[in-house]
Amino acid sequence: MTKVNIPATERSPEVDFDFSVNKFALRGESYPEDVNAFFGPLMDQLESHFENQDAADILFTFELIYFNSSTAKILMGLFDMFDQAAESGNKVIVEWCYEEDDDNMEELGEEYGEDLEHADFVLKKVAAD
Amino acid sequence: MLASEMFEFRNLLAGKGILFCYSGYMTEDVLSGIGQAIRMKLELEEADKAVARGVFSLFVEQVQNVIRYSAEKEELVMSGISKELRFGVLSVGNIDGDFFVSCSNLIEDDDVKRLDKNLKHIQTLDSDGLKKLYKETLRGETPDGSKGAGVGFIDIARRAKKGFEFDFMPVKDNRSYFCIKAYV
Repeated sequence: MTKVNIPATERSPEVDFDFSVNKFALRGESYPEDVNAFFGPLMDQLESHFENQDAADILFTFELIYFNSSTAKILMGLFDMFDQAAESGNKVIVEWCYEEDDDNMEELGEEYGEDLEHADFVLKKVAAD
Repeated sequence: MLASEMFEFRNLLAGKGILFCYSGYMTEDVLSGIGQAIRMKLELEEADKAVARGVFSLFVEQVQNVIRYSAEKEELVMSGISKELRFGVLSVGNIDGDFFVSCSNLIEDDDVKRLDKNLKHIQTLDSDGLKKLYKETLRGETPDGSKGAGVGFIDIARRAKKGFEFDFMPVKDNRSYFCIKAYV
C-alpha cells in the first residue's frame, strides 16, 4: 500500500494519498451518508503510517469546497493526528486551500489551524471556479 | 378539479415564498438531487455566493437530521441489510429578501425537553460563543447543559446569519412535531 486514490463523488471528496512520498490530499465536497465508513479506514492507514515515520517531511493538503458537521469532527481527529506526528519528530505541513471569495472556509481553516502546536499550518487562497 | 386543487396548493406554497418543498421519505440520494437543484436555482438567481453556500449548508444539516433522527420511520430489509426510511418535510424559500431553509419531523416526546433546552441555549450565544461550543462539541468536551445537541444544530446556528426559530407541537402517541427554520 503506497497509494490510495479514490475519485470524488457527489458527496465524498477525492482522496489522493501517496504514502511513499508522504503527500496527502483531500479535495472536493464531503457530506457522506456515513462519515465513519468513509474516513475510518483512511484514518487507520494514516495513523499506522505516521507511527512508522521518523524525521519525515509530510504534506497534507485540504482543498475542500464544502463539508458537513460530521466531517468537521473527522477533520478535528486528522488535525490531532498531524500534531502528534509533528511532535514525534516529523516535519508536518498542513495546507488549507480556500476559494478567494469563501470567507467561511478561510475561517474554518483558521479555527483548525490555531489548535496545531507542532505542525505548520498554511492558509492558501486559490482562485474561485 | 385536479389541476385547480394542486394549483391552489402551489399558490399556497408560493405565497409563503417557498421555492422548493419536499414532503416524504428522505434518503441521501434525495439530498443530493434536491441539493443540486437548489445550487442551480441560487446560481440562476445570482444569489451572493456566501448566501448560496449558507443555504446549501443549512439544507444538508437539516435534511441529514431528518434522515438520522426523524421518529417517523419505516424499516425494511433488503438483501439481508436493514435499511430505514425516515419521513420529514423540507422547504427552501425566500421571504423579504432573505433565504430560509426549514425542516420538520416527528420526534419522541422524551426528546422535546432536551432539544428545546439545547436550541434555546444555542440561540443565546454570539458568534464567539458558538465557535467555542462548536469546538468543544467536536472534541466531545461538551458541558453537561449542552449534551446531546450534537454539532449539527451549532453548525446551523453559525450558518444562519439572520438567525433561526423553532418550536414543538404535541401530536399523539407520545410524539411531538418539531420544526426549525433558519435564515441566511
